[in-house]
Amino acid sequence: MTMVLGHIKGQHFRAHHIDEHARSSWLWRLDARAKLVGVLAFVVAAALMTRPELVLASLCLALLMAASSMIPASHLARAYLAAAPFILIASLSVGLYGGLGKGLAMAARTSACVIALLVLASGTETFALFAGLRRLRVPALVTTLLMLTYKFILLLGEELSRMMVARKARGFRTGRSLADRYGLKVLSYTAGMVLVRASGRADRTYEGLKSRGFEKDFTGWRSVGVRAVDWAFLAVLIAASASLVLFQLEVVAWPLST
Amino acid sequence: MAALDMRDLGFRYDDGTEAIKGLTLSVAQGERVAVVGPNGAGKSTLLHLIAGFRMPFSGDLTVMGKRLDKNSADGLRRHMGLLFQDPDDQIFMPTVEEDAAFGPVNLGLEDIPGRVARALRSTGTEHLAKRPPQRLSFGMRKRVAIAGILAMDPGILLLDEPTSGLDPRSRSQLIALLKGMRQTMVIATHDLEAAAELADRAVVLNVRPVAEGTIRQIVSDRAVLEGAGLEMPTLPKLLGRLEEMGYPVESLPVTMEQALAEISRMVEREAERRSG
Repeated sequence: MTMVLGHIKGQHFRAHHIDEHARSSWLWRLDARAKLVGVLAFVVAAALMTRPELVLASLCLALLMAASSMIPASHLARAYLAAAPFILIASLSVGLYGGLGKGLAMAARTSACVIALLVLASGTETFALFAGLRRLRVPALVTTLLMLTYKFILLLGEELSRMMVARKARGFRTGRSLADRYGLKVLSYTAGMVLVRASGRADRTYEGLKSRGFEKDFTGWRSVGVRAVDWAFLAVLIAASASLVLFQLEVVAWPLST
Repeated sequence: MAALDMRDLGFRYDDGTEAIKGLTLSVAQGERVAVVGPNGAGKSTLLHLIAGFRMPFSGDLTVMGKRLDKNSADGLRRHMGLLFQDPDDQIFMPTVEEDAAFGPVNLGLEDIPGRVARALRSTGTEHLAKRPPQRLSFGMRKRVAIAGILAMDPGILLLDEPTSGLDPRSRSQLIALLKGMRQTMVIATHDLEAAAELADRAVVLNVRPVAEGTIRQIVSDRAVLEGAGLEMPTLPKLLGRLEEMGYPVESLPVTMEQALAEISRMVEREAERRSG
């Protein structure tokens, strides 16, 4: 999405920018498995919340996670804005039928989930995330497809950047309106050429994989064990998620209720 | 037993374009053969045929005595390391050391840390072990790609335009690195100077094989160069001009060392002529 928007706006896409903030956060040092399980547990719990005070509490927890992650707020805000239209559509549709309160609760609930997932994605290198999934016994076919898709997106991005530079060098002005027919024609030709070129590169990449003995599974070299700090991170998130669910099910009374 | 043996090899693309025709070539174990020719001569296609990514349309190809076909390609590829023209096509992992380990892990080889350490040491990329490859320069990424191949310890190296896209310093460093290796090599290049430094023998390919011999013999034959659409490198061109000016040259040099030896002899002859 960011890549396509960038293309229309004439911005450059750089493959390594995808993971550029991962190491700015202390989160990247944690084992990907702990992060995946912890954050997904939190997302499931947040999605289950219906009581307004608990929806708000889960949003606050997600914001707290984002604030403590040390990932630049501007980066998270940009990524959140990319997802905002979807959140807005979901909230509006619920709000139209269920009233303002339910619409706002939907917005807060989806925001809590999106923010938590953005923290996970931004605070973990993409490859580590996929490797973590594999170590969590997600089938090799799924993780390999994810990795190859990721690699293909990088190739598409690189080809797009080259095409944009070439286009600019020949006087094409970017930032045109989508109603500009000539601009639209050039953009569609560019998209076509990018796909053709990326397909050629994808073939070479496949040959590159085969030439290095690849069969069907991206196996990491060093398997690092889960350390105490990873367990602690996981325990905090699981405890928070479990508490939310217990409050929601009224197994435990919400302490701030009047 | 030859490392590679090709008999009357031919390959045609799906659209009917002939890429290689009637190539017969044998490469002994430990030998380094350069395949030189202009763009579109079939050099890269030949490497892809040898690596078993494409199957020959006609003729026979054996690798380490075993016939290459669709069934044997994956197994035979274990003996070969293919260096792509663009290193980004063969670098996959998030750090340099993990990328070097990628092949050995896939092949289930033993002593992976030792293999990785040796490969990084021999390519001078030890200090980059923890770095993400995509943030390195093109020359360094080429070294990382070579490290990835060396870690698999293949007997045959297939190098596709190894010096293309490199600045002069990186080019010299890469040539020195490759010169120090002991593997059988097939080097597809249009860089005649690099071929002269790296290869024992060269085959001029322009879809069909045009000539075979040392690079020195090939650059001395203008008809061969013109027939294959190759440009004479700067050093033999310079010495050729000196010969035209009346300074005899024993044989046209291609490398700097050969040129220095030739010029020294020329100076000695001139000194003798003047004193006598």
